[in-house]
Amino acid sequence: MLQTRLACAAWRWHTSAQWTRHCPAMALSSSSRRSYVIRPAEGKRGEVDISMIPPERIRNFSIIAHIDHGKSTLADRLLELTGVISKTGKNKQVLDKLKVERERGITVKAQSVSMFYEYKGQQYLMNLIDTPGHVDFSYEVSRSLAACQGTILLVDAAQGIQAQTVANFYLAFGEGLSVIPMLNKVDLPTAEPERAAKQIESAFEIEADRILKISAKTGLGIEQVLPAVIEQTPPPPGSAEKPFKALLFDTWYDTYVGVVCLMAVKDGSICRGDRIVSSHSGTKYEVMEVGVMHPEQTPTTLLRVGQVGYIVCNMKSIAEAHVGDTFYRDRFPVEALPGFVPAKSMVFAGVFPIDAGEFDRLNESIQKLTLNDSSVSVHKETSAALGQGWRLGFLGTLHMDVFRQRLEEEYDTNILITSPTVPYQIKYRDGTSKFIRTPADFPDANTMNDYVESTMEPFVISTLIFPEKYLGSMLELCTTHRGELQNHTFIDESRVMLKCRLPMAEIVTDFFDKLKSKSQGFASFDYEEAGYDASDLVKMEVLLNGEAVDALAAVMHKSSVIVAGREIASRLKDVIRRQLFDIIIQTTANGKIVARETVKQLRKNVTAKCYGGDITRKMKLLNKQKEGKKRMKRIGKVDLPHEAFLTIVKRSE
Amino acid sequence: MAAARVPLSLYVHWPYCSFLCKFCAFSKARVPSQGVDHERITNALIKELRTSLAPHKDKELRSIYFGGGTPSLALPRNIGRIIDEANKLVPLTADAEVTLESNPTLAEVAKMRDFKQAGVNRYSIGIQTLDDESLRKMGRLHTGAEGLAAVDRAKTLFPGRVTFDMIFGFESQTLRQWRTELETALDHADRHISIYQLTVEPGTPLFRDQRAQRVVLPSDDVQAQMYEMTVAMCRARGFRHYEVSSYASHPSAESMHNTGYWRGQQWVGIGPSAHSRFTDPASGQRISSVRIPDTRRWVQQCESVGHGTGKELAVGDAEAKQEAVVFGLRMQDGISDQCFMGISGGQPLASYLCMDRVQYYIDEGHLLWHAPTACLAPTERGLQVIDTILLEIIP
Repeated sequence: MLQTRLACAAWRWHTSAQWTRHCPAMALSSSSRRSYVIRPAEGKRGEVDISMIPPERIRNFSIIAHIDHGKSTLADRLLELTGVISKTGKNKQVLDKLKVERERGITVKAQSVSMFYEYKGQQYLMNLIDTPGHVDFSYEVSRSLAACQGTILLVDAAQGIQAQTVANFYLAFGEGLSVIPMLNKVDLPTAEPERAAKQIESAFEIEADRILKISAKTGLGIEQVLPAVIEQTPPPPGSAEKPFKALLFDTWYDTYVGVVCLMAVKDGSICRGDRIVSSHSGTKYEVMEVGVMHPEQTPTTLLRVGQVGYIVCNMKSIAEAHVGDTFYRDRFPVEALPGFVPAKSMVFAGVFPIDAGEFDRLNESIQKLTLNDSSVSVHKETSAALGQGWRLGFLGTLHMDVFRQRLEEEYDTNILITSPTVPYQIKYRDGTSKFIRTPADFPDANTMNDYVESTMEPFVISTLIFPEKYLGSMLELCTTHRGELQNHTFIDESRVMLKCRLPMAEIVTDFFDKLKSKSQGFASFDYEEAGYDASDLVKMEVLLNGEAVDALAAVMHKSSVIVAGREIASRLKDVIRRQLFDIIIQTTANGKIVARETVKQLRKNVTAKCYGGDITRKMKLLNKQKEGKKRMKRIGKVDLPHEAFLTIVKRSE
Repeated sequence: MAAARVPLSLYVHWPYCSFLCKFCAFSKARVPSQGVDHERITNALIKELRTSLAPHKDKELRSIYFGGGTPSLALPRNIGRIIDEANKLVPLTADAEVTLESNPTLAEVAKMRDFKQAGVNRYSIGIQTLDDESLRKMGRLHTGAEGLAAVDRAKTLFPGRVTFDMIFGFESQTLRQWRTELETALDHADRHISIYQLTVEPGTPLFRDQRAQRVVLPSDDVQAQMYEMTVAMCRARGFRHYEVSSYASHPSAESMHNTGYWRGQQWVGIGPSAHSRFTDPASGQRISSVRIPDTRRWVQQCESVGHGTGKELAVGDAEAKQEAVVFGLRMQDGISDQCFMGISGGQPLASYLCMDRVQYYIDEGHLLWHAPTACLAPTERGLQVIDTILLEIIP
């Protein structure tokens, strides 16, 4: 008989006891580390025998919430309640560390963890499975949810439901999970629990009297949370007799053991020494270690049906671990779980070193960062203007921003990022089609005329939630971005939920910033992909003294050409410094010039006075200017400052 | 045969002014209300002079320059004491140039003859502009007519050795106004004139006025036209544009002292805030130093330790080479390979500069390579934008 004790000897407590999570699949989550002060309750842990807990007494659940609605605080309280961490009063999550995360209003991915809880005299194994909170990662969210049977829908009683709450609710609903609604922060003076409850009722058709009212911060009502989860969440289905079958829903890279996979065991069991196979790739792996997160990796001898735990299996690269993949025991193939989709890039951008000599260092930096983020696609790219670089594909704009920021900050790399582009699609008359990763791939005018049937662009369905008084400006924002209004409903007396179909290209630049500024920060926004539609696309090129600059080209809708063309030319005029000759800036589309600007020749640039005392100052200035010049890219004879490339990114109004 | 002595220049900084001009970024202060303690300042200068020049006794003094501040406010006999003391420490050459800067106020003009007596042989007058309104706005206490009178007076005492400063680009100045003004100035000029574009230096009242938009100066393009007009008008009058802001109508009139700065020659500066650049005879190390800028503190230190040096730094080869090119190319004569190799330790210009860019600018008509003398020089067009060119040709 297998002993599945949590062996005390195997606890890997470090004296500093930092609960440091290695980087999971998403770039942004790798920066998140939760530091708990861990004090194992001596002599208690070893008594827990997870084999004694049948699937009927296992609950796999998650918490979905908008940023700042208290997800991490609630998780802290539950961990304290179940003795996983001690009540030191220091368990405050410092999430959303990156500036970009705070600005974008996203929740960083935290930790999945196993807890033991006694309810009505019975020991329950409660697996809290964390989900990333942002739409860029909606696929990852859906896979995390696929490992659960229930989810706590946590809503701030003062703020009410937000766009992200809605998006996550529908994801959970779509996975068939039990939704356990809770209002948080009910003890705040500004809390309006009745109103928030009404919103939940009208948006999600959940009866208001089912909604728990808690305060994760003060612990008010916390004792009702796990009983509600136990009562309202079904135990994991599955059979102990069937062959092993598990869903991979999260991974991270550990320098010592390689890739660590977090899996939900759907059938059968697995232990060290077993050989398992990936349904997606067919690759076989030998299991080196299995265990549960409690809260650190804690080895067990076995993982059984219904349980959620980690597996270390000699996987060398994160690229081999596909979230959503099904694993089975070697020679006992099973039908793969539904819904597996390989990571799909929705935003592409060119990345180039500012100084060509930095190529190797940047290459190394990109490799290091993608080690923990297989969802970034990497292709080498050569630009006539910018030299050798890469075209990187991201899950969304947030994903891109986080990646860029980390590249710049963590690796101290000076990089140039070209304007982001979405994967447009070209349909040829012969029935074939291709995706456009970069404007350089866009067919030239002749090809367009002779071979192309249609051009397609990706769309999203967006959800906006905001106070009624911003309805006018929000509608305007959507229409100026080629949005097609689907509906708007009042989720209570004063808050509106607006659904709108938008071209993806319209939201990859500064849509979110505009949304926030036009609603004074009150609007929240989320989106889901909504397929491709035919669209009249053109490639806009920028010519400097007659020479096309490939890195400044952009694909856009025909209707944007005039405005964008003028704007790009005029912005370039502002950022290009005067040189010893006139610089003619032209923007063209379909071979026609859209706009023209001239940066007049610099007639005079010489220091008038230079005597003994001026020499030091003059040389300092010269060396500073030389540094600045190093950050310029020379296109033909023209020096382009870094900002020239950002000009294109920040287009419109 | 005695080895040729290494040339050295001396700069003497007189820190006081009777009025403060809005555009001036030099270290200076208004004459204190209780008056200047001439003896104390002069003694401090002489003390510093002795300490600083003594190590250079084997060199020869090519030039002395009294700048400031307003050195014409000093007593002529004290100027004489400094010249004599310097000559005792490092011998003045027979043709040494001894320049004194002066304002054209009546009191200072009256002292001209005494300065000549004291050993000054070149007189530089700060006219700046002939427009009385601009003079008043800039805070200067003289008129245009007084300025011209001072020049005329100086010419009788220092024939062929008078220079004066003019500035263009004042607030609301038009091209036409500048043309008229420059015509008049050139009518009165001796063999040398310095003409600057008004430069807004950080820290000056003018800088603050401009930033607050209380003052609107002519546009860059108008200023460029003024510069071009200046060059053309001076040329028509027989003045050679030998440096960005310097014009001379006779080779002997080109300022020996200033040319020393641009050719990378050595100088010692004394007085508050004065800079020095020289090769230390003992160690052979190139040194750059600056004296304490605050006059009171500078005097105290001179009295206690014999010099008012605030900061002293070694100048590396890379820095010296950069400077040689940056300053050499301010002159129409440019920089010779020979001069550069003296500084670079034998490395020729062609192996130091980015020659593809040099060639580009030669092709564009901005630079000239004069093969017989092995000199790199700017053309008139190139000089006008030399700061842009330097950024590209210096590695």
